[in-house]
Amino acid sequence: MSNATTRAAADMAVPETSVHTAGSPAALSELQKAGLDDPAVLQQCQVGPREADGGVPVGLGLSGMYCAACAITIESALKTVPGVRDVQVQGAVQRARLVIDPKRASLSQLVEAVQSIGYQAWPDGAALAQNARMGAQRQLLWRLLVAAFCMMQVMMITTAQYVSGPQDIPPDIWRLMNWACWVLTLPVLVFSCGPFFSGAWAALKSGRIAMDTPVALGIAAMFGVSTGVTMGQTQWVGHDAYFDSLTMFVSFLLFGRWLEGRAREKVSQSLEALCGRLPEAVSRSTQPADAPAVTLNEGACETVALSQLRIGDRVLVAAGQAFPADGQVLQGRTEVDESLLTGESRPVVKQAGHLVVAGSLNLGAPVWSRVERLGPDTRYQQIVNLVHQALTERPGWLRVADRFAGPFLWAVLVLAALGALAWQWIDPSRSLWVAVSVLVVTCPCALSLAAPSALLAAAGALARKGVLVRRLEALETLAIVDLALFDKTGTLTDPQLQLTQVWHQGVVAPVGQGMPASVQSALQSAAGLSLLSQHPVSRALSGFATESAQQAWRDVREQAGQGLQASDAHGQVWRLGSASWVFGSAAAASWPLGRVWWAQMEGEGPSPEPSTVFGFALDEKLRPDANAALLALRSQRVDVQVLSGDQSERVVALVRQMSVTPPVSVAGAAATPEDKLNVLQSAQKQGHVVVAIGDGINDAPVLAKAHSSFALDHGAPLAQSQADFIVLGGKLSGVALAVAVSRQAMGVVRQNLAWAAAYNFVCIPLALAGLLPPWLAGIGMAMSSLLVLLNALRIGR
Amino acid sequence: MDILYLLLPLSVVLVLLILGVLGWSIYRGQFDDLDQEGVRILEQDQDEPTTLP
Repeated sequence: MSNATTRAAADMAVPETSVHTAGSPAALSELQKAGLDDPAVLQQCQVGPREADGGVPVGLGLSGMYCAACAITIESALKTVPGVRDVQVQGAVQRARLVIDPKRASLSQLVEAVQSIGYQAWPDGAALAQNARMGAQRQLLWRLLVAAFCMMQVMMITTAQYVSGPQDIPPDIWRLMNWACWVLTLPVLVFSCGPFFSGAWAALKSGRIAMDTPVALGIAAMFGVSTGVTMGQTQWVGHDAYFDSLTMFVSFLLFGRWLEGRAREKVSQSLEALCGRLPEAVSRSTQPADAPAVTLNEGACETVALSQLRIGDRVLVAAGQAFPADGQVLQGRTEVDESLLTGESRPVVKQAGHLVVAGSLNLGAPVWSRVERLGPDTRYQQIVNLVHQALTERPGWLRVADRFAGPFLWAVLVLAALGALAWQWIDPSRSLWVAVSVLVVTCPCALSLAAPSALLAAAGALARKGVLVRRLEALETLAIVDLALFDKTGTLTDPQLQLTQVWHQGVVAPVGQGMPASVQSALQSAAGLSLLSQHPVSRALSGFATESAQQAWRDVREQAGQGLQASDAHGQVWRLGSASWVFGSAAAASWPLGRVWWAQMEGEGPSPEPSTVFGFALDEKLRPDANAALLALRSQRVDVQVLSGDQSERVVALVRQMSVTPPVSVAGAAATPEDKLNVLQSAQKQGHVVVAIGDGINDAPVLAKAHSSFALDHGAPLAQSQADFIVLGGKLSGVALAVAVSRQAMGVVRQNLAWAAAYNFVCIPLALAGLLPPWLAGIGMAMSSLLVLLNALRIGR
Repeated sequence: MDILYLLLPLSVVLVLLILGVLGWSIYRGQFDDLDQEGVRILEQDQDEPTTLP
């Protein structure tokens, strides 16, 4: 979402919620207060040691913030609570850090203060970890700036030395210049180089060798040589000081680490944002569950904790608040930000009958929704689990890369030692110089970063566009696929049925503008009733409900597998459902097949007679982006085939419906799961690299056996699916996108490996031959790492 | 050229001073969120007494 729209949304959200909170449903119940003020909770969100005056530094998580100004608003609200000081709200990470006096201020007061201005706050259990990360990042920036500023000043002085040479500058000024450089390099060595030395020391203690080892050795050697020169011991160490190379080398390395840290921080922030997205408290209707949706109102609401919600509860979600559970909108119309869950960055319009997912954010007006799935069953929780799993699993080849780095580093140390020894005979004054060059110029970083940086960048680019990568290795196989097998139902077609025709008095009218008015109004009232049901057919119909059609249905009864019955405002009974439900099992056979019936029932008792009858014909519809996705795959030289368990006529009809030329071939229809496996295996025997795309559940065996697999997410339990990739939001175009990105990523891996290998093979001999001064070696190493990282960052742009 | 005996040490001292200021601003959190500090000046100062009702 663009900045402008988020700001507009936030501007809208704040007054909305403050009006809403005027009746103080945001005030906490006694139970919630007691829960928040539990000493254990305070301890959980404490971020540092208790201060001398008894103040406790605590962390709060915040939500509902959209811009920097929100942070300031919250900051001033928190400052008004007595016993609170040192408030710092960090807008970017949606967190607050403050010191409270536990005797005067309590957590519930803080939460209430934030809620009263329309935001959400909770004691932040992850505050300590986040605080530590932020501290580390601040320190790294500080180290980087120290190194960079000292480098600049050293450069200024040494430029004068380079330009004029020793003969033009009086020797005492020359020595003063060296001493100035020495003083400026000292903070760089002592403070900025800390991570390299501690890394090398930690590796040494455990008997290993790390990337930091040659770096630390090189830095120490350069500083030793330069100090010797500065003190005038030129007979031992030659005439050149390397303060400029040293500071520049360290600055480049730290800059690389700082960028890397920022990128990592972004990943963990978005993860924590995802995890901390659900609201703590929810306002729930106190009316009985069968009260019609139109009678829901803010007056009859209670605020309950998330854990007290039950399926079927009706909740009011204020603007700026996240939906607490998966559910269906009952009343109201709003825009919802689902970007974290589907990758769709534009706000999505939601009105009565639409489904909303937990963790998506309500940007427009308050809406009522009915809870359908809670806690671990929500799509939100499944995505959070998936992301955790993908981040904690370490791919096998990364461990392989680590194994190769060790011997490589040993080889570097041995080469440096041999070089120094050999130069003792050739020119003793240059032997240290050569060793330093070898240590500094070799860049194991480039070699070991080549593959991971590209694959991680690809996974990140895909995640931003709504494709989750479950196994990084899968990107490698995806890059070489040449055959895509699509499942039909729920994959090429929308899982939601579509109303195509309406039957009335023997006349079939296609759905659209030209429908007779009587049919239109019948459809709308049926849609109004179907809002109250979860059945797929009801969901297809409920999209036609208008605000006016949501009349007060009474005595609503749902017969599982049959249909709905309800009385309208005039007391007349209507039924919606199968032929046997509406016409009775005896008469059902005489009505056309394959329709859902809607009829007004005359007469009382067990067998009422239908009078006014409408028949709704429902059909699958092709996903809107199916054509484009298939064409895109073809243009990537991937053959596309359909493999379906549905009847072959329906498969062929669907293929015809697609305007793809030449038509998509059908690999199999009416196929059992075993048939599907056979088709897959014979294709694999012919040498095809196959990617299977399915809805994740009934295709599980095919997805597991294919070289690479995609599952489309539409509410099926994600965690059970065995697919390598998950396309959020059911966007088929994600498949073609993933293929393109994976190919690009593998191209980048090859470039990176080639570059790193060529660089090391050229530069090490040059350094050994004494042709590469250490300052040039430092630039070379930093540049080669940076080049590898920058090359990886191109992916997905 | 004698002025260099003063200027060189002075430049070193200046750099160290600048570094001190930078460190102070980093640890005050001014680089944590680059947007936020700019907006702060637009907010009414809560500590000052205001004449408005």
